[in-house]
Amino acid sequence: MLEIRWHSRAGQGAVTGAKGLADVVANTGKYVQAFAFYGSAKRGAAMTAYNRVDEQPILNHEKFMRPDYVLVIDPGLTYTADITANEKENTKYIITTHLSKEELIKSQPKLEGKEVYVVDCMQISLDTIGRAIPNAPMLGALMKVSGMFDLDYFKGAMKKVLSKFPQKIIDANMAAIERAYNEVH
Amino acid sequence: MAKDLKEIKDIEEIKELGWDELLPGAALFSFREPVEDVAEIPMEERPYAPTNSHEWQVGDWRVEKPVYNRDYCIDCQFCWVFCPDMSILSRDKKMIGVVYEHCKGCGICVEVCPTNPKSLLMFPEHMDNQEALAMWPKKEEKK
Amino acid sequence: MAKKYELNEVEVWDGNMAAAHALRQADIDIVAAYPITPSTPIVQNYSKFLADGYVDGEFIMVESEHSAMSGCVAASAAGVRAATATSSQGFALMVEVLYQASGMRLPIVLTVVNRALAAPLNVNGDHSDMYLGRDAGWINLCSYNPQEAYDLTLMAFRIGEDLNVRLPVMVHQDGFICSHTAQNVRPLQDEEAREFVGEFKPVNSMLDVANPVTHGVQTEEDWHFEHKARQHNDLMNSMKTINEVFAEFKDRTGREYTPVYTYKMDDADVAIFALGTTVESARIAADQMRQKGIKAGVVSLRVLRPFPFKEVQEVLSNVKAVATLDRSAPGGTFGMLFNEISAALLAGGKKPVVLNYIYGLGGRDTTINMLKEVYEDLDKCAKAGEAVVPLQQFLGLRGPKLSFY
Ligand code: SF4
Ligand code: SF4
Repeated sequence: MLEIRWHSRAGQGAVTGAKGLADVVANTGKYVQAFAFYGSAKRGAAMTAYNRVDEQPILNHEKFMRPDYVLVIDPGLTYTADITANEKENTKYIITTHLSKEELIKSQPKLEGKEVYVVDCMQISLDTIGRAIPNAPMLGALMKVSGMFDLDYFKGAMKKVLSKFPQKIIDANMAAIERAYNEVH
Repeated sequence: MAKDLKEIKDIEEIKELGWDELLPGAALFSFREPVEDVAEIPMEERPYAPTNSHEWQVGDWRVEKPVYNRDYCIDCQFCWVFCPDMSILSRDKKMIGVVYEHCKGCGICVEVCPTNPKSLLMFPEHMDNQEALAMWPKKEEKK
Repeated sequence: MAKKYELNEVEVWDGNMAAAHALRQADIDIVAAYPITPSTPIVQNYSKFLADGYVDGEFIMVESEHSAMSGCVAASAAGVRAATATSSQGFALMVEVLYQASGMRLPIVLTVVNRALAAPLNVNGDHSDMYLGRDAGWINLCSYNPQEAYDLTLMAFRIGEDLNVRLPVMVHQDGFICSHTAQNVRPLQDEEAREFVGEFKPVNSMLDVANPVTHGVQTEEDWHFEHKARQHNDLMNSMKTINEVFAEFKDRTGREYTPVYTYKMDDADVAIFALGTTVESARIAADQMRQKGIKAGVVSLRVLRPFPFKEVQEVLSNVKAVATLDRSAPGGTFGMLFNEISAALLAGGKKPVVLNYIYGLGGRDTTINMLKEVYEDLDKCAKAGEAVVPLQQFLGLRGPKLSFY
């Protein structure tokens, strides 16, 4: 079982991102779960979303999770949210930031010694989609880091998921995914 | 199985039905058989089912009764419209009289009758209608 | 004619989307609704399907849940298919009309996304609303995941509308944990679903103007008792139809439903008896206990009403200890499952240890570890042959341990 936790602000598309990933994974015959914690989720409030991926039907409905991947799509949450909660020894972090990896770890020492990847999903989404919706680029970065699917397959699958949207939006998302895939390190 | 209430002739029989004989949901039909255009069929010819309130007489609830006086009636139909128990008999927009089997004696018809003097007035239940008509009041002068 | 909705063999739907698609495919004539969290997306998705041409019926936005169910009652009595969705406070406001719907024998379908009842105000999942309505004379079906929410919603129409049943049906799913959790769902294609659900068969329709009928009549002591007896009798006997519909659904889809759900109960010494998503989580806990040599199983009610009394007795006939997990504040007694399961066991002459756990209120997370603690308690009791822990405990509660008896 592969488990993923997203840290996001309500409105940044973590739920849509988690759902999009689930859609892609389900098409490969695997079983998925995508859910989120909702409080009185006002736009901008910190929130978490989750994915589970398995070869077997997923029966686990606990919200508690020890994630394999932590995806932080809002730069500020690295400092204000408990992004290392319930981590495993080998939990991988993919963090949205304009900083270099070294600068990031210096600014948030609790990431010291962990497997950390950085990518500027905010800037990428602003450049490509024109709005700060960093979910699509984060998925591109996740594909690179996890090796879950190769870029072309993933882009093809995401096109299907987004098929109800206008071509312009699909193209912008593809560009965002590809740039993050290439830039994450 | 549910008994078809439309088949039952006698109201007393309905009162004795067991749980397995009742129509589920306590739905009650108005007629024993389909009636295509009920507005065209006079009341006394309609095939009322025993569960229709038409078959249940509430006239004995009355302590006073409305008496109808044809002499002043203008056939405005107010009484027919307002009677809560459908106890005003009217045919082709002509007022005929009160159905005493169903009239509860509420007096609403008297209240709404617009003529002067009124064409419907309440009298003691035991009084003969002829006697009531004989003591009908005169037209009230406007003050 | 409604447009056909292109569906993949496998969709990733949350419980709300699954229920909304089932409603869409059921060709409902009237949906009267007043949205409330967490069931809002059912109504929202449905109205979008309608706006996009995928639904032929009418959608009526009303001013309260009381009106929503009243609208369904009127539509159903008029002789058409009616359904709606609600949760929690909205469900509570509907309760008066729930009794009208069942008493008038109207096969309305209500998808309930279970949520806590205030106060304190809480939008998250527990079974307070399910417990509030369980005696309202409706058939109650329980799902544990989005696939089942979809399947049972389709089946609800068939069951309730069957001429031997003619009763309203609720389909329950856990708020958020199911309603907002997207998982793999294998839907039927539109034509298949439509064929399965079939045409609505009006009974004593108010729109049949040649046969004027009065619904919602007054019965006093002369008739009321007989009508309620008839209603209870038909609800009890609806299990036959439920089983037939389950069987036909299995033939079509391969997905099997039974009035009592069991997991590894054949040789189980200890069992968790729960409802909702917890049932599936408990399977994981049971498997982990079995690795430690404890013969653990899971039982649930797929059909909460009519209560599958005999089946419950049978399934539990050999267990040594069973934990009933109630996700609703018991209000001064044991939880509903404890009371009903204990009664079934006692009537069957069995006396295993029966424990009661109150858990998960207001959406409190129910972890695999918590469920394993329950099995540990059960194992101790099974080995001792008597209750060696308190009969009623609160599970996953902060502060000093709270227990009774
Ligand atoms: S007294 Fe009342 S019930 Fe009788 S005819 Fe007049 S209005 Fe109708
Ligand atoms: S209200 Fe008076 S005047 Fe009018 S129809 Fe009736 S009895 Fe005649």
